[in-house]
Amino acid sequence: MIWKSALRRLGAALIVMVGISMLIFAIARVMPGDPARIALGPNASAAQVAALRAERHLDAPLPIQYWEFVKALSRGDLGKSLYTNRPVTTDIAQFLPATLELVIVSAIIMVLIGLPIGILSAHFRGRLPDHVGRLIALIGVCTPAFVWGVILQLFFGYFWPVFPIEGRLLESTPVPPDVTGFFLVDTLLAGNVPAFFDALHHLILPAVALAMAGLGQTARLTRSNMIEVYDRPYIEMARAYGFRPLRIATRYAFRPAFIPTLTILGLEFAAMLGNAFLVEKVFGWPGISRYGVDVIIRKDLDAIVGTVLIIAAAFLIMNIVVDILVSIINPRIRLAAGRG
Amino acid sequence: MSEPGSPVIAKRGGSRAVAAFFGNPLSVAGLVIVVAIVLLALAADYVTPFPEHVGPIGDFAAMSAAPASPYMLGTDTMGRDLFTRIIYGYRLSLIMAVVVLAIATPIGVIVGLVAGYRGGWTEYVLMRITDVFLAVPPLVLAMAIMGFLEPTLLNGMLAITAMWWPWYARLIYNVTRAEASEGYVLAAETVGASTAHILFREILPNCWPSILTKMTLDVGFVILMASSLSFLGLGVQPPTPDLGSMVAEGAKYMPDAWWLSLWPAIAILLVVLGFNLVGDGLREAFEAEG
Amino acid sequence: MKLSTKVLASVAMLALPAFLATPSFAERVLRLDESPIGEIDPSKVTDYADTVLAVNIYDTLVYPKAGGPGVEPLLATEWTTDGKTWTFKLKDGVKFHSGNPLTADDVVFSLNRMIAMGQGFSSLFAGRVEKVEAVDPTTVKFTLTEPYAPFLAALVRLPIVDSKTVLANKAEGKYGEFGDYAEAWMSSHDAGSGAYKVESQNPQSETVMVKFPDYFLGFAENAPDKVRYRYGIEAPTIRALMSRGEHDISDLWLPPEVIRALAGEKGIKLVTEAGGATGEYIKLNTARAPLDDVHCRLALTYAFDYETTLKILKVNDKYAQGIPMKGPLPSGLLGYDKDLPDYKQDMDKAKEELAKCKYDPKTSPIDIAWIAEVPARERIALLMQAQFSKLGFPVKVIKTPWALVSEQVTKPDTAPHAVEIAVAAVTPDPDSLLYNMYSSKVPPTWMSAEHLKDAKVDELLEAGRTETDPAKREAIYKELNKTLRDLAPAINAYEFTGVMVVRDPVGVPKLEDKSKQTLDNFNLVFRDISIAE
Repeated sequence: MIWKSALRRLGAALIVMVGISMLIFAIARVMPGDPARIALGPNASAAQVAALRAERHLDAPLPIQYWEFVKALSRGDLGKSLYTNRPVTTDIAQFLPATLELVIVSAIIMVLIGLPIGILSAHFRGRLPDHVGRLIALIGVCTPAFVWGVILQLFFGYFWPVFPIEGRLLESTPVPPDVTGFFLVDTLLAGNVPAFFDALHHLILPAVALAMAGLGQTARLTRSNMIEVYDRPYIEMARAYGFRPLRIATRYAFRPAFIPTLTILGLEFAAMLGNAFLVEKVFGWPGISRYGVDVIIRKDLDAIVGTVLIIAAAFLIMNIVVDILVSIINPRIRLAAGRG
Repeated sequence: MSEPGSPVIAKRGGSRAVAAFFGNPLSVAGLVIVVAIVLLALAADYVTPFPEHVGPIGDFAAMSAAPASPYMLGTDTMGRDLFTRIIYGYRLSLIMAVVVLAIATPIGVIVGLVAGYRGGWTEYVLMRITDVFLAVPPLVLAMAIMGFLEPTLLNGMLAITAMWWPWYARLIYNVTRAEASEGYVLAAETVGASTAHILFREILPNCWPSILTKMTLDVGFVILMASSLSFLGLGVQPPTPDLGSMVAEGAKYMPDAWWLSLWPAIAILLVVLGFNLVGDGLREAFEAEG
Repeated sequence: MKLSTKVLASVAMLALPAFLATPSFAERVLRLDESPIGEIDPSKVTDYADTVLAVNIYDTLVYPKAGGPGVEPLLATEWTTDGKTWTFKLKDGVKFHSGNPLTADDVVFSLNRMIAMGQGFSSLFAGRVEKVEAVDPTTVKFTLTEPYAPFLAALVRLPIVDSKTVLANKAEGKYGEFGDYAEAWMSSHDAGSGAYKVESQNPQSETVMVKFPDYFLGFAENAPDKVRYRYGIEAPTIRALMSRGEHDISDLWLPPEVIRALAGEKGIKLVTEAGGATGEYIKLNTARAPLDDVHCRLALTYAFDYETTLKILKVNDKYAQGIPMKGPLPSGLLGYDKDLPDYKQDMDKAKEELAKCKYDPKTSPIDIAWIAEVPARERIALLMQAQFSKLGFPVKVIKTPWALVSEQVTKPDTAPHAVEIAVAAVTPDPDSLLYNMYSSKVPPTWMSAEHLKDAKVDELLEAGRTETDPAKREAIYKELNKTLRDLAPAINAYEFTGVMVVRDPVGVPKLEDKSKQTLDNFNLVFRDISIAE
């Protein structure tokens, strides 16, 4: 039952992916300037520009360009980046794991810190821990990720230099052999525990900067959902039976409150993929987002399309996973094709 | 638009809502912040010490001066007063937020109303289009659009608007679907009211609380998004003062000229915080109203 | 993605003992940075980072001379010319990283590859070299289409690749029997003979190079074993890394404020790259009213505030990111005339010239563009606006991204009246700078945003190309320099001198000893650098 509806979600996601690829192509058409000229640099001759235009079908009408793109995509070919001069798939394979690793660690921080803050706030509703918790959550939500990045880098770069402020590994640490692209996994596969901790050490600041907004959102939602559950009669009853407050919180109030929280985690994951642009720039994180900024500034057509598609795909997959998780935790929620 | 909540609440006669809003010190604090910022931005020409510093001028004798009289918050790398530029930055941010929401909200509301009420193919097509927009992280889509366009104020607003309306479509779609089967809608259908009448006269009024709350919160988030874009160099261009690019440019001088990016960062935090507090207050007030 | 190989690899890695993955000895590591991207294919060199990579991974027949204009031998030991044919004798016993010997065939192959691919600096050779042949393994002969004196200097832009390694790694491509000329492979591997070889390459984040112990010229005593050339690190990060001692040599583009702050810290010194090749020109559009009148142009050159400009660029009493110019030729090139007076602001003379100009400033608006990617230029643009307004011109300042500027300036109608553009001589010959800027024969590019058409200038430019006697050439370029000073197609604002922040124990002889300094961009020679600790 779950799998059948998951498949249906996957089908809808595919339609959305086609839509996105068309949308991004339509946007690409209004682009001023000549991407071939920009790619070849101002010293290139007119003949060189014309040759590149022909090679990349840049002179063909948009539907033809789109068709060429779909044909190539079916061969696993996203074109060539004019900026790095390499296949876009090579670039994505190199840069995507670093971003996913960062976002996943951020998501873990978001849940591990955001949920307890929300639970404590709800539990001590109207008292000091609640006020402190709400304030932390609010400031988290209201501060742009790049500001967190700058603040953390300033603090840990100068005043209390206990964390590395850029890169994924110390230079003395050998880069682990590329298996998954996730350094946390690859270092362990290589059996190099110190390298694992080094990678983790490098992840902390960017991951925290990225997690702050989602952390605040998670805490706020958990709090309001918990409060709503606390007001329900069966909790009143549990109180009347004299259950310990902690037991009520964890056993009876948390689970129903967690489901609506979980559904927004997918959205927060998406927001993180976007905000990663801001954090990777500050921390020199060699991920897909920084690559995205670079190719956008250089109007690198194939690479922009590839980057946006891959981020959209990651986001859609994450949402499907969240939906499946929700339906496992609470089978009463039916998976619908268009989730509200 | 500057303070959208209160007059509407008053008109709907929600005295309980008003009481709930003003009974919450956080909401009141938010309202004070918002009103103060809006007033400062409106009166920028009169309250700022160096209104001419908004333009393309430089005072190279006072480059990157630390906070001290007469520059309360210090000067930027052109020797221009930061306080003045932050206030004008607020003006720009607020204009952007108002314009974006004034365009995105009606589009989103109409799409949501039609899709939610008509159902069938209309619903499927409209909501799949909405999904397409929602499936790309908003910042990514706005960046992609800005990457193709020249970075100007107008294009910046366009890019943010393009990714903002789907959220309203989603919200109103859900409310409409719930309302469409309510008794009052069925009654209107029975007496042969036109679709337009049902959508805008019967269903829409019941969406107002959700729309208003979301819009208030969104003023803050549009400002956040705009500043993120300009942090990446894809927003409004100098010499126009823009909070996001001030943080980005100033960050290059950290920590030696900390004031260059610290004050604009705090300025962003304050305005987003203010609108969030007001929005939260409104939501709770509407809930109290029932 | 070949998933199965990845899984196999992971299983294999599990079986490896852990000590293999940890460093075995303390290496000397040199850490530098530049803006992205770092291109290691020598046929695609365009910018600063690419040049530094090419210089260290590859060798060229000649190298820019230390301490003055011109070239000195590198792979070539001697050469002869009659202006049209150039014959070079190669050093014997030079080996590539692969172990293959470097021969005249490799030189022929390298030139053919560069011209065929048509990127990077191929325009220095394309259409100019009629024939290149290997006379014997250590003699190579170039036959040009016509006598061309700057050819010798252009050879600093022809890195020699290992033809056997390149051909062994070619893939299918559009170059006939040469396939793709190993274009794909060369973007992440090297085929050079240089003092350092590529260990890993990521064009967006870093190139790691290690010492090539068999290099034919040897190394400084404490030369780095490994070099990490990193790309796109933000200024505040460099700032923090430098003060933590975790970075050795900064890029050239830190703002003066940041350099000043770093200079005050312990264990840090400044060095300057003043190879005298880069002019910062305010290019005036000579094809558009009112600047098609030389008097209006001269008025602007007198109104420009040279003193404040230099003050903005000043780091401290000893270092600045710019020095005054005395004409269009920067100080490191043949023809530079140190006896000409400095430019100085003089509003009276400006008004005098303006009175001779046929346009009324009040009705002649002037557009000043500044390139968005270089925030420091906003200051210069604003400074110009203030001064030119004083002459009565309505002035508009527009921030424009480089991609757009480089397109706009190619047409006289769309080129702004004034835009600051840095142009550097890419070879140690004044021709590589002035011909591209001021010859009316060259199709318009960003370098020729002035759109100057002047018969005398053209004549001198051609004379400089055909004359092979250095003394006569110097006289030609001195006259050209003077002529251009009077024509004022550009405000020669300042000569760019890069200031780098360096960790104390790191010695960079070419940048610390004026007599060893060469042309801009050819000074970061890793094998010369010592790390004393």
